[in-house]
Amino acid sequence: MTTATPAATEAKRVEVTDLDIYYGSFHAVKSVTMTVQPNKVTAIIGSSGCGKSTFLRSLNRMHELIEGARVEGSVILDGQDIYASDVDPVNVRRQVGMVFQSPNPFPTMSIADNVAAGLRLNSRKAKKEELDEVVERSLRGANLWEEVKDRLDRPGMGLSGGQQQRLCIARAIAVEPEVLLMDEPCSALDPVATLAIEDLIGDLKENYTIVIVTHNMQQAARASDLTAFFNIRESGDPGELVELDRTDKIFSNPENKATEDYVSGRFG
Amino acid sequence: MAHGSRTQYREELAGLETRTLEGLDLVVTQIDRVVEAAQQQDIELAEWVISDDDRIDGRYLEVHQHILSMLALQAPVAGDLRVIAALLHTIKHIERMGDQCVNVAKLLPLAGHEPPRHPELLAKLIQMGRLARAEVIQSKQAFVMRDATLAEDLVLQDREINRLNREIFRDAVDIGDEPDVREWAMTVTMMARAFERIGDNAVDIGEQVAFVVSGLFREFSDSSTPPPAAG
Repeated sequence: MTTATPAATEAKRVEVTDLDIYYGSFHAVKSVTMTVQPNKVTAIIGSSGCGKSTFLRSLNRMHELIEGARVEGSVILDGQDIYASDVDPVNVRRQVGMVFQSPNPFPTMSIADNVAAGLRLNSRKAKKEELDEVVERSLRGANLWEEVKDRLDRPGMGLSGGQQQRLCIARAIAVEPEVLLMDEPCSALDPVATLAIEDLIGDLKENYTIVIVTHNMQQAARASDLTAFFNIRESGDPGELVELDRTDKIFSNPENKATEDYVSGRFG
Repeated sequence: MAHGSRTQYREELAGLETRTLEGLDLVVTQIDRVVEAAQQQDIELAEWVISDDDRIDGRYLEVHQHILSMLALQAPVAGDLRVIAALLHTIKHIERMGDQCVNVAKLLPLAGHEPPRHPELLAKLIQMGRLARAEVIQSKQAFVMRDATLAEDLVLQDREINRLNREIFRDAVDIGDEPDVREWAMTVTMMARAFERIGDNAVDIGEQVAFVVSGLFREFSDSSTPPPAAG
């Protein structure tokens, strides 16, 4: 049972309707309709190749970096279809941030510059005091400030894996997105760093809408409010959304037999 | 970093324990009411006890569902797992204690609004109710404080309830030939049996406390062996 706490900031919901995703002639994800709830953590689970990462990337048009990628259907963020012809994908990615599987701080930059990088890339002219404030606020938001405040000018690569991932989360929230996407954010981390990130995810949902793709079912169980199970019928078929429900329902009494088999480990 | 991690889970587990053990407070309230109802032959108060059992049943369902969620979502291990297993047993005992209060409340009107009552027998029944109440409170304290010694002491407290239960049975057998009095005395033996069961449930909760503390489950007393010779 999740305790309902009032959101500190009302984040934005994402309405996905009849979304099909293709890479050239390959149909990767078929006809997904779902609502990503604001100020909640939605986990996406499913076996490899079920389209969950592709679906996640489609929520900020990151999958378009692969040639031949196209979508049908709509993804509405705050009343705006992010695939409308007049929408700039760079602006979408500012509103919908992404944290990747392996921590990827910019190798030549200091801790502070890593956090401020997004602001600079978004070409906002900011004064130093303003940047300092954003750096501190973002590092605090990522539960990293206390650990790095005395070495902000040191390289980001000098941090531990878990700290680097929290640095990447700080970098993602520095530009004040509406939605945070996380693609297996803990798969390269040890259990202690993993729990720290999961705690952080719990804190972040007060201000953001979060979608997390994870192979780790226990992580989905621990860290999310809602869980979406993706599956493919046969090898080569497109991935489909099988079931989306409250996480406690998915893990104690799912509606669909395929979901039950997957969460019970009887799959494949 | 590890020390302060999983804060939300820890708070949730602590909250689950609190909600479960608060069920014992609900039982204490029900015992208080049903003891007063027995003392005053207050049928209205007895009916209140019957209807208010829904609160304990509701708490049982709430805790049961919460425990299932915790097991499914958090995969608790070691001490946390023992606590959750103990809470699942404890909430069942609480639900049974609530039912025993209802049993007493349902027996009260059977002998009529003004039954011919035997003061000495009634006093023993009331004393059993008070002892059962004390055991319920002690079981909660032992759980909250993780005090295995206090938990095992419940066995000693329970002996007095068991002794009174046997006494009430003998008294009822010897109470005379007056049909109305005999009928009332029969209901008293059944009420005594209900209080005696509440005591047993409190001891069972004590066994769960010892399990939480030590990791080993054992019954405090073997109910298949005869009780010690009572005075």
